[in-house]
Amino acid sequence: MDSAGSGEDCSSDTLGFMELAIQQAKLALQSLEVPVGCVIVEDGMVIATGRNRTTETRNATRHAEMEAIDILIEAWQRDGLSTSEVADKFSKCKLYVTCEPCIMCASALSIVGIKEVYYGCANDKFGGCGSILSLHLGSRESRTSGNGQGRGFKCTAGIMASEAVALFRSFYEQGNPNAPKPHRPLVNHQVDQ
Amino acid sequence: MFVAPVSTWVKFLIRNSNYQAYTMSKIIYIPDKLPTPPDQQPTVNVFAAVVEPQLINNLVRRLNQIAPLENLRHVKRVRKKHLGDGKTQIALILCLASENNCNLEVLSPCVQELVTSYKLSAFITKVCKEAATTKEEWEEQCKLWPTSYHPPTYNIDGITGFNEVDTQSIFGFMQLAIELAHSSSKSVVNAALIVDPSVKQVIASACDHHISSENASSSNANRETSFENWLKSISSHFDSNGSIIHGTLPSSSLLKTLKQSCSDVSCMYPLRWVNQPLIHSSTSCCWHPLRHAAIAAIESSASRDRRLFPTLETMGDKSVEVEHMGPLTNLAKRQKIDLENVKSKEKKVGTDAEGTYSKSGRPYLCTGYDIYLVWEPCIMCAMALVHQRVRRVFYAFPNPSHGALGSVHRLQGEKSLNHHYAVFRVLFHEDVL
Repeated sequence: MDSAGSGEDCSSDTLGFMELAIQQAKLALQSLEVPVGCVIVEDGMVIATGRNRTTETRNATRHAEMEAIDILIEAWQRDGLSTSEVADKFSKCKLYVTCEPCIMCASALSIVGIKEVYYGCANDKFGGCGSILSLHLGSRESRTSGNGQGRGFKCTAGIMASEAVALFRSFYEQGNPNAPKPHRPLVNHQVDQ
Repeated sequence: MFVAPVSTWVKFLIRNSNYQAYTMSKIIYIPDKLPTPPDQQPTVNVFAAVVEPQLINNLVRRLNQIAPLENLRHVKRVRKKHLGDGKTQIALILCLASENNCNLEVLSPCVQELVTSYKLSAFITKVCKEAATTKEEWEEQCKLWPTSYHPPTYNIDGITGFNEVDTQSIFGFMQLAIELAHSSSKSVVNAALIVDPSVKQVIASACDHHISSENASSSNANRETSFENWLKSISSHFDSNGSIIHGTLPSSSLLKTLKQSCSDVSCMYPLRWVNQPLIHSSTSCCWHPLRHAAIAAIESSASRDRRLFPTLETMGDKSVEVEHMGPLTNLAKRQKIDLENVKSKEKKVGTDAEGTYSKSGRPYLCTGYDIYLVWEPCIMCAMALVHQRVRRVFYAFPNPSHGALGSVHRLQGEKSLNHHYAVFRVLFHEDVL
């Protein structure tokens, strides 16, 4: 991984937060969801947790990161924070997530302006922090005008990656009993032609 | 009074200009890879040699064994060239050449042996790397070296064009999306419409919620509620094929307004939520930096799914889940009513939609559905649409600074993704003029 740093400066703090993210992923696994979990940390304190809820919500965009971000936005709005105060808060937050954020989540993290991301295993199919796209690098435009494709964020890969992969493995071994089988028959599309 | 004739006159004008508008509007397929000018197609180097006609059969058979042109199936092995004096010259491709080292010594021993034994004089030439996708590309390719061209013979979801009925209904749905985007007088935002094309039914609709306009908390909600009502009221305009027969296209002045006042469109200015004017957030908590129209529409269709199909069929015992959910039993009642509504609507529409609900059960995400967006989505929304398994994306205006479906990124061509949709731009006459 050349665009994201690798997890060599693994302090015990980093490992501790990633351990909490793994706990979230395990909760997802127990609920028969794809096991990805995350925590968001501000000033060394976990202020939000999230886990994948795509099956339960039937909304495939409800990834762990989106869940955690929503918790914070809701809480900060309830506290009466303005948009700029919310932005300011996010700019002090670090995200620990068991799997590389997908293209959608990486873009979302850049839109809210997260400070830093630590992740476990890479995401060869959807990864937005180095694997498929490198949205964490931001765009040249945004670095100068502050209003471009998105702001970049520091990204560290490979924290407890083997634990994250092991969870995926057990998920795919147990199968996904919640995966709905009724793919709409193709006949439907042809009928109205 | 003189009012009546004037309005008649205006109507006449509108009808006329709409006729023109229809003929000048079109649906453009946005391909997976950046189109290159026909004369700038990528090429590769190959070794070729001029040979005597009687040797062709033997040589081709042998070469197909020792140096098959595996990734160049569209390239013809043999080139016949008519020389001026009535003679023909025949040349054939020996093998691929490396891009840097065009020295004959790099030939594989087998090919080298062939060259020696037949006393061939090999030369380097260029052939086109990829199969032609259009006739123009093919004609250009053949100037270098002959290739074969197979025009698409079947229509994948409209990639090779739409019939009249589909065209009308696509224009109609895009018109609805534009109405939704414009239905607030305060500011122009992006709007999304998720449609089941098999029954031509709107599944979900939403506007941007990333910022709040001054009286946003009420206006946004009202806007969509009134839009839903309006949707219902126009459903009588759908004819028996489900296409929209009232057929008004957005006027050019409306299109101009939209294009000029797009500073509040989430996908074009994704970071604008930070700088929105200070509001008392205690009274309005409806802004959300990530709630772009497409994301909100996906959530709306997911919640419709949960409402219509409250239990996961694959889990077997329904009663357990319903009991567990307790107060949600009301949902079951509502579901019944909704299902009845849906069914009666389908009867009205008159299409064969039985299978959609009864046979195959609940839909899987947005499989088979289309989404109509006024502006080309940003990368976050485009990826969300991949996740939710949308079948086709239609947008009216490109998004030059952040568009992810052709303008800045081209997500539909990203091979590694597990799902791919087809992308179209609905180009109204304003842009053609």
